[in-house]
Amino acid sequence: MNAPLNRTKRNLTIAKAMAEAIAEEMRRDPSVLVLGEDIGKLGGVFGNTRGLYEEFGAARVKDTPISETAFIGAAVGMACVGMKPVVELMFVDFFGVCMDAIYNLAAKNCYFSGGQSPVPMVLMTSVGGGYGDAGQHSQCLYGTFAHLPGLKVVVPSNAYDAKGLMLSAIRDPNPVVYMFHKALQGMGWLGTVKGAINDVPEDEYLVPIGKAAIARSGKDVTLVGLGATVHHALDAAAELAKDGVEAEVIDLRSLVPLDRETVLASVRKTGRLVVADDDYQSFGVSGEIIALASEAAFPQLKAAPRRVAFPDIPIPFSPALERPLLPDAAKIAAAARATLGKA
Amino acid sequence: MAVPVVVPQDLWEEDLPGIVSAWLFEDGDPVKEGDLIAELMVEKTSYDLTAPKAGRLKILVQPEVPFQRGDVVAQLE
Amino acid sequence: MTPSQEQRRWMYRTMLLSRRFEEAIAAAYFEGKQPAFNMANGPIPGEMHLSNGQEPCAVGVCAHLDEGDFVTATHRPHHIAIAKGVDLKAMAAEIFGKQTGLSGGRGGHMHLFDAKVNFSCAGIIAEGMGPAVGAAAAFRQRGEKRVAVSFIGEGAANQGAFHEALNLAAVWQAPVVFVIEDNAWGISVAKKDSTSVTDNALRAAAYGMPGHRVTGNDPLKIFDVAGAAITRARAGQGPTLIEIETYRLEGHFIGDAEGYRAEGEVVGLKAKDPIAVLRQLLLQEGTIDVAADVRIQAEAQSAVAEAIAAARAAPFPAAQAAFEQVFA
Repeated sequence: MNAPLNRTKRNLTIAKAMAEAIAEEMRRDPSVLVLGEDIGKLGGVFGNTRGLYEEFGAARVKDTPISETAFIGAAVGMACVGMKPVVELMFVDFFGVCMDAIYNLAAKNCYFSGGQSPVPMVLMTSVGGGYGDAGQHSQCLYGTFAHLPGLKVVVPSNAYDAKGLMLSAIRDPNPVVYMFHKALQGMGWLGTVKGAINDVPEDEYLVPIGKAAIARSGKDVTLVGLGATVHHALDAAAELAKDGVEAEVIDLRSLVPLDRETVLASVRKTGRLVVADDDYQSFGVSGEIIALASEAAFPQLKAAPRRVAFPDIPIPFSPALERPLLPDAAKIAAAARATLGKA
Repeated sequence: MAVPVVVPQDLWEEDLPGIVSAWLFEDGDPVKEGDLIAELMVEKTSYDLTAPKAGRLKILVQPEVPFQRGDVVAQLE
Repeated sequence: MTPSQEQRRWMYRTMLLSRRFEEAIAAAYFEGKQPAFNMANGPIPGEMHLSNGQEPCAVGVCAHLDEGDFVTATHRPHHIAIAKGVDLKAMAAEIFGKQTGLSGGRGGHMHLFDAKVNFSCAGIIAEGMGPAVGAAAAFRQRGEKRVAVSFIGEGAANQGAFHEALNLAAVWQAPVVFVIEDNAWGISVAKKDSTSVTDNALRAAAYGMPGHRVTGNDPLKIFDVAGAAITRARAGQGPTLIEIETYRLEGHFIGDAEGYRAEGEVVGLKAKDPIAVLRQLLLQEGTIDVAADVRIQAEAQSAVAEAIAAARAAPFPAAQAAFEQVFA
C-alpha cells in the first residue's frame, strides 16, 4: 500500500543521523566541538561527521594525531572549562591505549570534585564485528564500559534513536559513551541492516537517556537486545509469530542508566526472558539483565532465562570461525522456544 | 510524467562502476524534491543521490547491482 | 624576569604556609599509626605524599597565574594547590575526609579539586597533561588569554601520555606550560636508571617547542623561566617544557624507609632547604626584616592551625553521601 504523497518521511542512515544531530547542536551551542581521528575532511571513517568540517571549519572539527591518550584527555580538559566536546574513539577496541582518560578522569572528576567539575562530553565509538576484521576491530565491549561508574552508555539501534540520543548525549552534563554498531551504520562497505535506516525528523527531538523502547509488543516471551541484536530479535519475533508465539522485543537503547522498569514490566508479563548480545557472554549485559529478572521478577518467571551472546573467546578472523558464533535470529528464536518448552 | 533519476556524470571522477548501498525509501514511496533517496558506493567511498523532483519513487536498480555514471537507477512518477 | 618585592614576600609566605601545612598533616597522619603502621588507621588514612622541599616549583610558577588559569597537579599536590589559591580549610577538611572538604570526602589528598581557582590533581602519573592541553586549546579557541599549566614529576616523562600531550600541544599551539618537578626519584628508582637523557628539557626539541632546565631548586630562577614561558603562552606563541631540579625532603610517601637513598643524602638536602635559603636572601636584601619574618611565620602557623582544627571539628559525611555526585 502506497503512502499518500503529502506524507513527510525522510529515511536516514545512522551515520547521517549522527552527523545531523551534531551539526544541529553545533549551530545551537558554540561550545560544542568535535575531535578525533579522520573526523574532519574525511567526515569520519564511519561517516558520522560528514559535512561538519565544511560547515564549521577546522577550529571546531579537529582532526587529531593518532594519540587517543592525549586527545581524549584533552577533551576532559575542554569539558572542565566549559566546552562540550564530542570526541571519537574510532574503534572501541582501541580503548586500551586511552582508558585512563576515560575511566579515571571523565568518569570520576564529577565525583572527586564533589560536583564542582562535571565532564560534559560525548565519547562516540564504533563497535561490532561480522565483517571479517578480527578481534582488534570487532568487539562490542558494552559490558566493559557499562561496568564503570560515572559513565553513561547508550547504544542506538536505528537512525531515529541515533539522532535523538546524540542530542541528549551532547546536552547531558555528564560523560556519555555513545556506542554505534558498524553493521547498522549505513556505510555500504560494511553492509547495512535495513531496519536501522528509518524516518528521522529534521526538527530537534530528544530520545531520553535511560529509557528503553519496546520495539515489538508481545505476551509470550521477552527478547532483550541492544544495537544489532535488536534487529536479530525482531527477525526472531517474526519467525516465532509464524508458530503463534508473540514475542516482545525490548531495545535497551541505554545501558547506563539501565531502564530496569521496562525490562521488568515485560518479564513480569511474559514470564520468559531471552537476552541477545553480541558482546562477550560472561560478566556482561546478558548476565546483568538475567540477574535483574532473577532478583526482581523471580516469582513471575516461568522458565529459566536464556542468553545468546558471543562466547568468551577473542573474535576470530575467518568467516568460517566468526559467523557461526555471532548471535542471529535463528539462535534467538531457538532460545525463545526453549523457554516455552518447545525446543 | 515520469522523470528519470540519473546518476550524475560528475558524481565521481574515475570510470568505475557504482552500486546502491541503500535505498532510503521503499519502492512506491512519495519523495520531495531534494530528498536524499539513496546512498551510492564506489569502491569504499559513499555518495548521496537526491531526488530531482517530487514524485513517487520507482526503483529500477536494486542494491548491489552495478551501474555506470549517467545510468538511470530510478524514476519519479 | 625578576619578582618584585611583593612577589618575593608572597613566595616566601606561600612556601612557609605549604611547609607548615604539611608538617601538621604529617603529625595528624601518624596519629593512630604508631607503634603499628596501618595505613587505614588514624584521622588521615591512605597514602600521603608530601612535597616538602619542592615548594619553589609551586611558587615560582604560580606567581604568574591567576584564578582563571588552569592547573593540573600530581599525587604530590599540596604545595601547588596552596600556591594556586585553593581554599586551605576546605583542602584540610578533604584530607581528613570530612563533609566540609573540597569534595565532601570523596577525593582525599590525591584528588583535590577547587573549580573556583581552576585547580585539580590526580593520582595517575602524567594524567593531568591531556586535560591541560585541552583546557589550553579551549582558551585559545575562545580567544581568551588564560593559560594552562601541567605539573608532573620526572618519572612522568617516560609515560606515553607525556609524549602524546607534548605533541598535541605543539600541533595545536596550545597555551600550556608543562612543568617537570625533577626530584630525582620515581618512588625508589633513580632518574638515571629510568630515563635515557639526563635533562628532560631536551625532549622538547622532539616536539618543536622550547625546553628549559632550571637548576638549584631556586624560586627566583624558576620565576624567571616560568614567567617567560607563561608570557609566551599568553601571547599565543605556544607551549613550553620546563624541567626544574628540585628535591623531596621526605620519602615517596609517609612510611617510606628510603633505603634507596645514599647515606647522608637527606641530611645534605635539608642543609640547603629552599625556605631557609630564601629567608636568608630576603633578610639580606631587606625585602623583609626580622620582625616581618616573625609575623609571616606566625601567620602561616596560625592559618594552618585554624584549618587543621576546623577539619578535625568538622562532621564526617553521612554514609549515604557516597551515592551523590556520581553524575551531575
